[in-house]
Amino acid sequence: MRSEMDVYVPRTLDEALQQKSAHPDAISLAGGTDVMVEINFGRLRPAGIIDLTRIPELREWRREDSHLFLGAGVTYSRIVRELADFVPLVQASRSVGSPQIRNRGTVGGNLGTASPAGDALPVLAAYDAEVVLQNRRGTRSLPWHTFLQGPKKTAMAPDELIRGTRWQVVNGPGSFSKIGTRNAMVIAVAGLCLQVDQDARQVRVALGSVGPTILRAPEAERFIAERLTWDDPGAPVTDEVVAEFAELVGRAAKPIDDVRGTARYRVHGCTVLAGRALRWALEERKAFKWL
Amino acid sequence: MAKTQADELAVVGKSLPKPDAMGKVSGQARFADDLMLPRMLFARILRSPLPHARIRQVDASRARAMPGVQAVLTGEDLPIKYGILPVSQDEEALCSEKVRYVGDPVAAVAATDEWIADAALEAIDVSFEALPSVMSIDEALAQPGEPIHPRGNVHKAVALEFGDTEEGLRSADHTREDVVFFEGNTHLPMEQHAAVAQYGQDGKLTVWSSTQTPHYVHRALGKVLELPMSRIRVIATPNGGGFGGKSDIFAHEIVAAKLAMVTGRPVKITLTREEVFYAHRGRHPVLMKVRTGFRRDGRITAMQFQSFLDGGGYGSYGVASTYYTGALQTATYAIPRYRFEGVRLFTNKPPCGPKRGHGTPQPRFALEVHLDKVADELGLDPVAIRRRNLVQPNSQTVNWLRITSCGLEACMDRVVADSRFLERRTAMPSGRGLGFAVSSYLSGAGTAIYWNDMPHSEVQVKVDRGGGVSVLCGAIDIGQGSDHILAAIVAEVLGVSLQDIQLTTADTDLTPIDLGSYSSRVTFMVGNAAIAAAQRVRQRLAEAAARMLHCESDELSFRGGQVGRRDHPGEAISFAQTVQAAEAGEGLISASGSYTPPKLAGPYKGSGVGPSPAYSFSAAVVEVECDPRTGEVRVPEVWIAHDIGRAINPVLVEGQVEGSVYMALGEALMEEQTFRIGVHKFPSMLEYKSPTTLEMPVVHTSLVESLDPEGPFGAKEAGQGPLLPVIPAIANAVYNALGVRIDEIPITPEKVLRALAQPSRRVGPKGVPRFAFPSPIQAARPPEWEGK
Repeated sequence: MRSEMDVYVPRTLDEALQQKSAHPDAISLAGGTDVMVEINFGRLRPAGIIDLTRIPELREWRREDSHLFLGAGVTYSRIVRELADFVPLVQASRSVGSPQIRNRGTVGGNLGTASPAGDALPVLAAYDAEVVLQNRRGTRSLPWHTFLQGPKKTAMAPDELIRGTRWQVVNGPGSFSKIGTRNAMVIAVAGLCLQVDQDARQVRVALGSVGPTILRAPEAERFIAERLTWDDPGAPVTDEVVAEFAELVGRAAKPIDDVRGTARYRVHGCTVLAGRALRWALEERKAFKWL
Repeated sequence: MAKTQADELAVVGKSLPKPDAMGKVSGQARFADDLMLPRMLFARILRSPLPHARIRQVDASRARAMPGVQAVLTGEDLPIKYGILPVSQDEEALCSEKVRYVGDPVAAVAATDEWIADAALEAIDVSFEALPSVMSIDEALAQPGEPIHPRGNVHKAVALEFGDTEEGLRSADHTREDVVFFEGNTHLPMEQHAAVAQYGQDGKLTVWSSTQTPHYVHRALGKVLELPMSRIRVIATPNGGGFGGKSDIFAHEIVAAKLAMVTGRPVKITLTREEVFYAHRGRHPVLMKVRTGFRRDGRITAMQFQSFLDGGGYGSYGVASTYYTGALQTATYAIPRYRFEGVRLFTNKPPCGPKRGHGTPQPRFALEVHLDKVADELGLDPVAIRRRNLVQPNSQTVNWLRITSCGLEACMDRVVADSRFLERRTAMPSGRGLGFAVSSYLSGAGTAIYWNDMPHSEVQVKVDRGGGVSVLCGAIDIGQGSDHILAAIVAEVLGVSLQDIQLTTADTDLTPIDLGSYSSRVTFMVGNAAIAAAQRVRQRLAEAAARMLHCESDELSFRGGQVGRRDHPGEAISFAQTVQAAEAGEGLISASGSYTPPKLAGPYKGSGVGPSPAYSFSAAVVEVECDPRTGEVRVPEVWIAHDIGRAINPVLVEGQVEGSVYMALGEALMEEQTFRIGVHKFPSMLEYKSPTTLEMPVVHTSLVESLDPEGPFGAKEAGQGPLLPVIPAIANAVYNALGVRIDEIPITPEKVLRALAQPSRRVGPKGVPRFAFPSPIQAARPPEWEGK
């Protein structure tokens, strides 16, 4: 007999934090697009569920000086509609599941589930975002790589909720792309976000679905940062440089064989995505004169 | 009725919405899972977690003691074996001695709700003794441990020869051999199978089931439950997609019935999506070798075809599937000498069976890819080599298939012209390619699944004094639109509107015999039966009207709800008045009509599979866009032409053609039912990849009307045939785009990359395993082939 489960429906953030503190073994959810699948397949049976969909603060996003704060409960559909300036995030959001899933699913869910295949996560990693956590006593912020500890493992304490995520708005072109068997309802075989940060003179690359958690490609990033002519977006970049960058990105991947694809194909996929993403960014840099 | 001119027809030939369409899109259609009966219980099935094991003991005492559990069944409660084919009675509703695949049913529970039933499954203790499992054709032939069935892992081996093929190959200018593989895949209907059973105090059993074949379920229930068929009523509910996946007899149907009998309460069972993957009966994985001799001009001199089918754990339709992998090669090309050898093997996987195209998409892939390769070698284009060999209308194939109407050449001409295939194929930009293929399929199997002398289909028509027309028919609409076809044909003959027709379908208490909605038989066979029934009613009505209008009955026309004198348009009475007059004279006006296909089987053993009263033909050109870096293949555009005989409702035919293109796309590029350590790799709709609307190409559908002399109003099938040419056309297009041969379906990005990296530019099987086929039955050739 399956155990009974308590469902909490807080109306305010305070109420939610109290309930999470009183019932640390309850799982909090917003869209439920990950959690409900696990429950329905009998792989997860939490003592309780805290439904966060009625809390207004979690559904907000706002600009905070040079940063963007994205509430944990903002759905992918809203990101696509409302955050057009954040191109890679919009591209990743558009590739999540189906319209129904995008209407329910949230970035907070991607963070909470901490699957290496979460489409928004490589974008947050390339933005160098931090994750804002909150409990009854207050809030704390962790860099994305401290928050994501491993496959489905996070640094969140049992009494904490994910409040949202925050990053410094980046000046420069970027993109998210993924390889999958079809164009919707697909968990990526490999996903990649490349973001040029013109001010910091960095190119940041993050990979999804090719390791236990989201990976950056530091060697590749260093390599390309040294080879770009930062003050002249029109300066040519040779095919050899792009190829070597792509190769280095591929080397950063740590994939395994699974039902969606072989490790070899995934590494190859990262290489192809990296080369293409860099070319797109360079073209855009030229066109828009990012300086 | 074939020769009726289109402009004389009021309903037939018009694109009209299906009568059930609004009900389905608005949620009013009542599928099996929508049925709710008072005091109904919910059943769940415990399935084997092991691919091959002996059952030592099943202890259900803990489950039986749970509150809310009303009954638990195990193998000993249902000991009688059954199977869809008389020669393969090898299944048990609940296994008693052995399990043969992960998902094989072992026990069942009925409880007051599904959650209690689920919990009770966990409380059933089964002790298994694991046996080595057999997961491939090679392993099945190697026979490492205990065979899956007592008589061994070879389920069926057949060999047929028509003319001396060795001699035909020797006399050829050019021969070629190819080995290809087609991985298994499944139907993926939107509706999961469901059944509701009720056993009354009167000792009568009623079963509602989402089945394509209520008549066969009726027979099997009688056998397994040891009830006279007169006490069983099977009602097929609308199918939310069938594709062949609901045409077998399933354990859950028998289990629901038995649980209803044991508990005295109605019982519902609905399979989970995961269980649908185990119920399966889908596309067989088939390894094939084809060897063909050609003259310099491309004409075929002889063909030898071998197929190895990976059948899964049970027989199912497998004997028929085996023959089908060899039956229709000759239905598109005039092959003067032909040898077919086929073997089906048992493996520890869910049983395979019929899926759209039943046993013929795999050899069609082999054949059409093979022909393209030969065309290259002979310096011919893909169209020319096929044109050299085209089967002719009103001919007989070397394996005794009777070809009557044949629009194959018209189909070819249409897609080749519309896509500008010949001009464009040699001038495609990098990474883009065009591929071409043709095919043929049957309009209903010419023989029943079990030997009997009944008609294959019978339709009863009754008219009421308000002018309404009741049509009773055993066929169930599985989404293809058979309800519309039935209503349209009767409306056409009686000159009434579609809204005047009331259908009662697929209820074994009320409707006459029909073998089921499979083998593309419904329009052809039910349609002919409906014409016969409606014409009989019309004749009786005409006699009554003739008395009132003072004329002869053959001067009357039935049109627009009126019965009137053809040559005196003013002299008419309403259809309802006519019915009243006829009923006053002779009582209830009712008649039935039936259809039995002509006896077409050739004079050899194994000739029962392949004959059909008519064949449909299709041709397709597919354009692909390949990414040589990622190996991804996209299909932007498809041109397909289908010889439908006559389109009774063109929009429905186009729907079947487009649906076939969609399904073929999935099979060609991504779908595979594959296993890891005995376990299905991805029994879910998320990970079992089939195309979404985003993958759907632009499809240019052309209908070719060859007006079949025996088809209802000239019609032939549309449900399965159009799938066939698309898969090989995609493979041929990938070759045109990248110069690689992926001789293995599905054509995944990984295979494309592998082929690009290899000197042979090919991915595919290297050979076939050694197997001693029986020496072929040497069948006589039809007279027209003698001496050729």
